[in-house]
Formats: sequence, structure tokens, C-alpha cells
Amino acid sequence: MTTISRPIFDPQEFDTFGCHPFENDPATPDRITRQVYVERQVSSWNVNMKDGSQLQFWGFKDPTISGSDSPWPSKIIRVKQGQIFHCMFKPSKGAHTIHWHGIEPTPMNDGVGHTSFEVKSSYTYQWCAHQAGTYLYHCHKNTVLHFEMGMYGVLIVDPVTKSPDTNNPNYLYDPLPGDSAPGITTGAPYSAESILVFDDVDPRWHNLDHNAGMCGDDVGLDKFNPKYFLINGVHNGRSETDTKTVTKVVAGKNVLVRLANASYSRLYITLPVDAWIVEVDGRPLRANRAKGAFAAPRKLAANTRLEVAVAQRYSLWIPNIPRGDYRITGNFHHWITNKKHFDGTAVAKIIAT
Amino acid sequence: MRRRQFLKYGSVVAVFTTATVSLPSLLAAQIADPGDLPTGDDADFDLEIVDVDVELIDGSTVPMYAFSHAGQPPSIPGPILRVKQGDTVRIDIRNSSTKPHGFQILGQTNAATTGIAPSEGDGDDKVRIEFVATKPGTYFYVDGDNAPINRVLGLHGALIVEPTNGYADGAARKKPMPYPAGSATANMKSLFTAFGEATIDGKQARFPGKPWQAGREYVWIFNQIDPVLCRRIAAGENPSASEFQEQFHPRYFTINGLCGMDAAHDKATCPTGHVGEPALIRSMNAGLATHSPHIHGNHVFVLTQSNANGVPVYQQDLFEHDVWLMPPMMIKDVLLPFTTPPDLPPAPWRMVQEKYPLQYPMHCHNEISQTSAGGSYPMGLMTDWEIEGPLVTS
Repeated sequence: MTTISRPIFDPQEFDTFGCHPFENDPATPDRITRQVYVERQVSSWNVNMKDGSQLQFWGFKDPTISGSDSPWPSKIIRVKQGQIFHCMFKPSKGAHTIHWHGIEPTPMNDGVGHTSFEVKSSYTYQWCAHQAGTYLYHCHKNTVLHFEMGMYGVLIVDPVTKSPDTNNPNYLYDPLPGDSAPGITTGAPYSAESILVFDDVDPRWHNLDHNAGMCGDDVGLDKFNPKYFLINGVHNGRSETDTKTVTKVVAGKNVLVRLANASYSRLYITLPVDAWIVEVDGRPLRANRAKGAFAAPRKLAANTRLEVAVAQRYSLWIPNIPRGDYRITGNFHHWITNKKHFDGTAVAKIIAT
Repeated sequence: MRRRQFLKYGSVVAVFTTATVSLPSLLAAQIADPGDLPTGDDADFDLEIVDVDVELIDGSTVPMYAFSHAGQPPSIPGPILRVKQGDTVRIDIRNSSTKPHGFQILGQTNAATTGIAPSEGDGDDKVRIEFVATKPGTYFYVDGDNAPINRVLGLHGALIVEPTNGYADGAARKKPMPYPAGSATANMKSLFTAFGEATIDGKQARFPGKPWQAGREYVWIFNQIDPVLCRRIAAGENPSASEFQEQFHPRYFTINGLCGMDAAHDKATCPTGHVGEPALIRSMNAGLATHSPHIHGNHVFVLTQSNANGVPVYQQDLFEHDVWLMPPMMIKDVLLPFTTPPDLPPAPWRMVQEKYPLQYPMHCHNEISQTSAGGSYPMGLMTDWEIEGPLVTS
């Protein structure tokens, strides 16, 4: 029988590509004066799960704020479009990185071991977001495990301008001359914001070591059996009442819902109210030839299912929200069988009064 | 492979008749393009199905099936079949495997055959399919028998239909586009017209450099391998489709049959070029898992998305994603614009200490797929892409 062989490879390179990625603490190349500065360190702590058990999580803490040692998800970072951003990152408990998910800087600032380096003890990341929108940041070291262990947070790039509508003073993005966004008010001005990151947790993975599986050993990372389903770190028994997952708004104002999928499941979202998809993955839906944008906002009718791929982000805009309670439902399905996981529903809420 | 046919009028006429019969249903299903009519040109292929052992990234081997051009080494996925819109495509298939197989092109009419018995070895037992290639875009060819088993075990590949009039700018013909002028959407044409323009409407534009060039494209076919099921089937077990789907537990996750570093080093997989050289990527998922490919460095524009029949639907709105959703059998053509990474500090900042080439990964963000055999991150469904140097305009 014919054998289809692997390509010829250099064993030493194979080793640095996977098992032993390059670790370093370089000076930031082409560094310039910053306009925003944040610090992040690595920490670990235990989280109380729905059934009373405790699981170990890892995350990024802000060392400048006391009491921020158990941030899961890690604290939101908000910057303004066009600001020169620096993040001084000091990992501990081994090498880590920060990948600014959806932000597109140079490779040194992209946080991927095999295309640049993993941070041994300290590095200052530098970038300048050119487009307002919804992003994530997460560790890109042994990502399969570190992302599951909770090493992620939301990164929001806010626009420079404010909406003239005093009821809805915040823009999702700066409207530009020549923008066309039929169906919505350009810029998607909003009053209240619901930021929802959906996740699932397999408790077995939370006993694994930092480098588990990296050097060819089988540690079962092909087996993911999530038992817990959460939004913003709030388990699905509390997510309809917890302040982290309930958004209050004055009826008649506009609401922006930012969705992200940090799970390893197929995630289906439904809202009981008409909404407009106004942004995907940090890119507003608008047409503007000169700016190279070729899309229009898309209406998501009430109770229509929206599938959010893993690590995708969607922004939904609900104009003039009528008085009422609105359940934002996320259903988690197996990534191969597409069957819904047992207990795989988590619901957040908007309360318009 | 391609030749102008002057003599075989008989077969051309016969095919014309078939195409005419199927046109009304075609019109009902999609916007037909004038270029979908038969041109009289031919595209002939001679394929073989064989049993193979596949060496995986950890050195282990699993038994699978593979396509080859007859007499050539087999590969998973099978060889890329490239035809022109309106071509009369003839594909001869010989089954040199020990098991029966089929062959079909999803999304093309009259392009299926089933139950091809194992070859007797006398050279006469080929089965032929013949059809007129319509609607430019990316299609799956698969062994549709015993679905999804034979497909997932290696029998899948890409058929690419190129347009006869693939220009975004009408008669000027300075802006090539891999879709027909007659039925591409207005936004698709706007995008391909914008490539290579330093200014638009007197303003600095987003895509200076070159127009898209015909042939500047990559094919990314995703699949998953369950070594246990591969071995059981090679040993003679015949699980039903539902048993296979229930028990499917992949341990290897491939792009163009490769994992991790092997894919990152594969020239046909890893897109390279300068700033200003936009590239088309035809992404396809032959497996059963839902992938979430995530690209660093640039977002992509989603240009087409296959419908339930495997026919590409040209997108009116070109969503820009850094993660795009790829459920089983999904085909999406996406455009990687090869711009300067957009989140560098603006001028007068200059990248001096950090040098070209700029290397970025593309990987599935359902990170389970980043492993092989239960570990070995990132030796799974990933590759790299590389910006070799600054803006080029000619």
C-alpha cells in the first residue's frame, strides 16, 4: 500500500515550534511615547462552581489595583481609537504571552510564541488600534489550555467622538463622511451596554500543569467535556440576577450588546427583541468605498438564532428598547455532534424600565 | 489537461442538451451567469481512488483513502481540479481501492456516480462523469458513498471553477476578479476595483498596491482524523453513518492534510507576499467538527459562502472577520488583503528595529483542534502567513 509520508522536517525546529518555544524579555522594538498604559500580571486562584466544588483558574491581574487577584474573566481594558497603547506584562508561574485578539500589530507585539517569543519575565506590548470595536485579549502560550483556564478578558476600543443624541451619547464607532449604514443610526449610538462573554468549563482540565501536553505527551486535550456554563464568569444558575450579567436601561433608549464566545462549543444566541448586527470582529458594518468597507448592518429578528464562532465577536444594537425584561439566551452545543450539552444554557438579562 | 475540441461535435451537442434541460432549475436556484453556457472547451481529468497509509505529525500511521491523478502519487486532500466556467468537464474515475466507492461534485449538475466496484486491474473499468461547469467558485468533490465516512477518511478535494469574464471593472479589464462580472455582487466588484488604488474619491484609500492577480490564491481544506475508526474500518468493520458520527473522536486536525509546523512550512498552504498583493483563500471543511479559523495580522473579507447544496452564494455584504465560522462541508472564499497590519502606530512612526518578513499564524480558535494525539500544542489545524516586505505597486 502507498504511504503518504510527512514532509521532511528539522527536529530542532520542531522542538522550538511546539515543545520549547523561544522565551525572551526584549525591549519593545521601535518604541514611542505612550498615551495609554496598563499593567498585567499572571495570577491563579480558586473559583466556586455551581455545584459547590472549587476549581483553579488562571488570569491576568492588574497589579496597580489591590483586590483584583481573582479576575475571571480578566478585567476589561478600554482604550480610545488612535491611542498609542503600552501594556507592561510580567508573567509569573512560567512563560506566558498576551495576544490582543483582533488587534493587528507587528509580530513582536502579537503575543505568539512560534512567530515571535513568549515572555519570560517582562515585556511591554505596543500597538495603536485604528478601529473602534470589540476585541479580546488572552494568553497565547499553550493556548488550548491557558484560554480554558480563564486567561482572557474583553478589550474595547472606543471611538473618539460622542453622539449628539444626549439620550444615547456613546458611539460604537465614529461615523465617517460617506458612511452608509441603512436601517440604523450611523455610529450605533447607545445609552447602555451589555458585554457578555460566554464560556464553558471542563473541570478535568483545571488540574493540568502549565505546560501540559506540550512535548508530545497525551494529556487528553482532545477530550473536552464541559460541565459548567457561564457568562462573564457567572454560572448559569445566577446569570439572570447577577449584576455582571444584568444590564439596566431606561426604556426608549438604545442598548448595545457585545457578544463574545470564549467557549469550545458551538454557541447559539437568541434575543426576544429585534436587533441589528452592527459590528463583527471589530469592524463596523457600513459601506464606505474610500475607506474600503463593503457591508450593511443586518437585522436580527427577535428569536432568530445567531451562531457566534469560537472567539468571534458580534455587536447587536437595539434602538428605542421598549419597557420590559429581555433574556439573552446562549445555548452551548458540542463542536462535533452539534448536540446541546447537558445544562448547556446560560441567560443574561436586559431590564428596561 | 485542457484542449480545444473541434472534432467531437457529438459529445458537445449531447452535453448542450443536458445543460439546457437543467437550466430552468439552475435559474430558479441562483442568479445564472451568461458565462454558464457551454463554451465547447473541454477539461479532462483521470482520477484514481487508492487505499493509503498516512503518516501523521507524531510519526504514527493510519489507514485512509486518497485520490490521485491516475498514475501519480495520491494525496489527501485530492488534487485540485481547475476548470473554466462553461467547460465540458469529463472526469474518469478508477477505483483501485479494495472497497467500493463513489464520486461526486457537490453543487454541480449531473456530476455524481455511486457504487464503483474495486478495479479488476485490466484498465477498462473506469467510470466517467461529464458535466458543464457553472457558477465560478469553489466546490467540493467527494466520495459521496457511505457518507460521511469515505469523505472524512480522505476522499475529498477541491474543484475550482474560474470565470470566463472575471473582471471587476467592465471593459477596462484592469481589475481581475475570480468571479464573473455578470453575476458578482456590487460589493464584490467594489472590493476588487479598490485593490491597487492609492486614492479613491480624492481620499487616501485602504488598498494601495496591486490589483488582485489571477492565480494569486490558496486552498485551505480542513479535516479531522480519528485513528481508531480509521483502523477499525481498514480491518473490515462497516459502521453505519450514525455509528460513525456518534463514535467519531478525532485526535488529529489537519489543513491540506498537514498539521502544525508541517502546514506552516507548506508553500501551497502558507500565504506569502508583499503589502499590496491581495490573495484569495478558498477555505473548506471536509470533516465533522465545526472550526473557527482565526487569522492574525489582517482581517479577511468573506466573499462567498456555500449553500446546503454546495453552491457558492456570492455575498452582498462583505463581512470582515478575524474569525470565520466553518461548520461541516462549509466552503467560504475569503480575501486576505495583505495590507500593512492596521494597528501599527501611524506615521511618522516607522518600523525600523523590527524587520520584515512579518510572520503571523492562522489557527482554529476551538483550540482542541490545536493539538495532536491529546497534546503537542500547536501541532493541529494551523498555518502561518507572511508579509515579506513593504508596499509594492508593480
